[in-house]
Amino acid sequence: MLLSSVIIILREVLEAALLFSIFIALSRQLGFDFKWVAWSLFLGLIGAMIYGLNIDAVSQWYDGVGQEVTNALMQLGIYLMLLLYMLLLSITLFSTGRPNSINHKKTLKPALVFIMIIVSTLAITREGAEVILYFFSVTRSENHLVAVLTGMTIGGSIGISIGFLFYYFLSSLNFKWSIIIGLSLMIMVAAAMVSQASLLLIQADWLPSQLPLWDTSGWLSERSAIGQLMYALIGYEATPTAIQAGLYLCGFIVPILLILGLKFKYNLYP
Amino acid sequence: MKSIRTFLIIVILSTVTLMAFLSALNGYQDSMAKAEQLFDSELVDKSHLLLQAFLARTLIDNKIDMTSTQPLNATVSENSASLIKDIELENEQMAAENNFFAFQIWHQGNLLLRSSHAPQKAIAHFEKGFNDSNFLNHRWRTYSYYNNTSNLWILTAERTDIRYVLAENIILDSILPVVIMLPLLGILIWTIVSFGLSPLRKLAKELGNKRVDDLSPLSIDEQPIELIQVVNSTNDLLKRLKSSFLREKRFASDAAHELRTPISAIKIHLHNLAAMVPENEHSFLQLKSSVDRMGHLVEQILNLNRTSPDQYISRFNTIDLYKLAQELIIREYPQFNEKNIQLALEGEPCNIEGDPFALEVLLQNLMTNACKYTPDGGSVIVTISEKQTDIQLQIQDSGPGVPKEQYERVFDRFYRLNGDSHDSGTMGCGLGLAIVQQIVELHQAKITLGHSSFSSGLLVNIIFPKEPSARKQSVSLPEVS
Repeated sequence: MLLSSVIIILREVLEAALLFSIFIALSRQLGFDFKWVAWSLFLGLIGAMIYGLNIDAVSQWYDGVGQEVTNALMQLGIYLMLLLYMLLLSITLFSTGRPNSINHKKTLKPALVFIMIIVSTLAITREGAEVILYFFSVTRSENHLVAVLTGMTIGGSIGISIGFLFYYFLSSLNFKWSIIIGLSLMIMVAAAMVSQASLLLIQADWLPSQLPLWDTSGWLSERSAIGQLMYALIGYEATPTAIQAGLYLCGFIVPILLILGLKFKYNLYP
Repeated sequence: MKSIRTFLIIVILSTVTLMAFLSALNGYQDSMAKAEQLFDSELVDKSHLLLQAFLARTLIDNKIDMTSTQPLNATVSENSASLIKDIELENEQMAAENNFFAFQIWHQGNLLLRSSHAPQKAIAHFEKGFNDSNFLNHRWRTYSYYNNTSNLWILTAERTDIRYVLAENIILDSILPVVIMLPLLGILIWTIVSFGLSPLRKLAKELGNKRVDDLSPLSIDEQPIELIQVVNSTNDLLKRLKSSFLREKRFASDAAHELRTPISAIKIHLHNLAAMVPENEHSFLQLKSSVDRMGHLVEQILNLNRTSPDQYISRFNTIDLYKLAQELIIREYPQFNEKNIQLALEGEPCNIEGDPFALEVLLQNLMTNACKYTPDGGSVIVTISEKQTDIQLQIQDSGPGVPKEQYERVFDRFYRLNGDSHDSGTMGCGLGLAIVQQIVELHQAKITLGHSSFSSGLLVNIIFPKEPSARKQSVSLPEVS
């Protein structure tokens, strides 16, 4: 039970912690205040409670696959929001310092903050609900209480610790590198969201099941801590199907192409 | 990085947590694998023991019907070997408690003996070694042992979930302290980091507590190696600053002397010249006005310099503000009288802690302003009143007043309402209210502007605290030569 608890909590906490650390580090570099963090935590926790308490009803939707579909839609929503965030951030950066340019940092700030609140709230809602569900389902048996609580503490602590270290790593970089690495991480996290969403849709039979393209569990098990970090960071799957791998690749390439397109546009028409 | 301490605590605690918990997880997985091996080896031992016990019983009692299947507890005779009894008892207890262990003894496809809850059909494959199988709604770890001599298959099984829980409970005891120690570790790291940063904190405190006029060097004793360079550089800076301040002070004094003397001389010559040029000579009047203006400007610049916080050296006394205002009114009355302005002083004697010279400059500037901007025949009221925790000084006039949107700007240096072309056409250099604000700040008072009680005009309201807090950075006026 301990290991299962660690894996489940680590998976949920790590994903949210990474998103938060990237957002907070970028906010700091852009000179935004951190009120959005409090709002996201507040709204996310309320969302998690509501979602967690109504999960039975949600599960009944779409012929019993409501939970998978809802989670997948949330993941796709996060991906689209992250895509928009990356584009707005790129516009802000590419236009900065150009003659006659509008101060996009000021004009786009409300939009960037709004997206951060939406993404963080969605992430906490989905992951918080999973944690709540897991906790209440497992702790019904008193035999496992200590093991589950210990596992949750270890998983949560590892996730939060990695989040803090990521944040300080990004904050220690200069503006240019912080933005480049922050954006790169965001692209990977966003692609991971698409991969996870596709997996959930396969589970819900909304996408066809296929045989795995490869199996790398011998090299890096998804159940190991590093495997979980890679899962949250780059959407690592030991046994991905062709659809999953294809969607992951699309999720990865689309933001890169759009950002490069924006850069090209700004270089062409400064 | 906003705080070195927060950074160090979070990063160290995160790193330690990460390492400790990853090691604990690694240890957990290894221990679980070892426990699994231990349970497996125990299962092998149990199989061997069962075989020996079974063979012993068949030899002693020879009662086993090799063709019938019967539960172990149904065939025990009084003379059975104690060894068998022990095994039976143990197995029965286990069965009753948690159905943890099950076994079967087979001979040529016939089930000879089984534990009470074991099913009739084989609980494991007839292949030597370990395997996993499902029966009685549980997952079981099985071991199949074949004895060539007796041609018997001993099939033993233990419930996987119970084995897992038993092993985990033992291993948890070694992991729990790591988890429980985490908050203590946090407190310990906090304490150590705080202690390690204490010299830096002491240095910051020492610098923070320094008065503006205290330019003495910092103590270099007992400073850690990392801070010695900082302290040395700061001391060098303080030394340079001290000499720079001395030069500046000297400059103020010299400037006062050097500028006042020639202006006074010019004024005397102008006075003498007055008898030699026709009355109302335009150039002469312009010259006189310019010299007066220059004299006023020099005085105001010197006042601004003297009341500047970085020049000011504390010399606070208890002063009766009402009495001081009275003296000022007597002194300044002629200029009010010249314009036929009605001047009134209201209020009561009020003692405040303040610098006499600075307060005199403050009152003088405000009253001169009121006089300047109040039209002939107007009114000026000076009110001094004592409240519970503060003392209020109000000066209001019936002049044109100041537009609300200009309230903040009028305190800027060299700022004049409507530029040089002020409606009043009076002489001024735009420093009066800047000096007033500087003196107000020195006394930790508050100044606000508003509309006077007349139909038009300005109200200047200053609130002095009765007991200003200890001044770190202030000052009094340097000696004026």
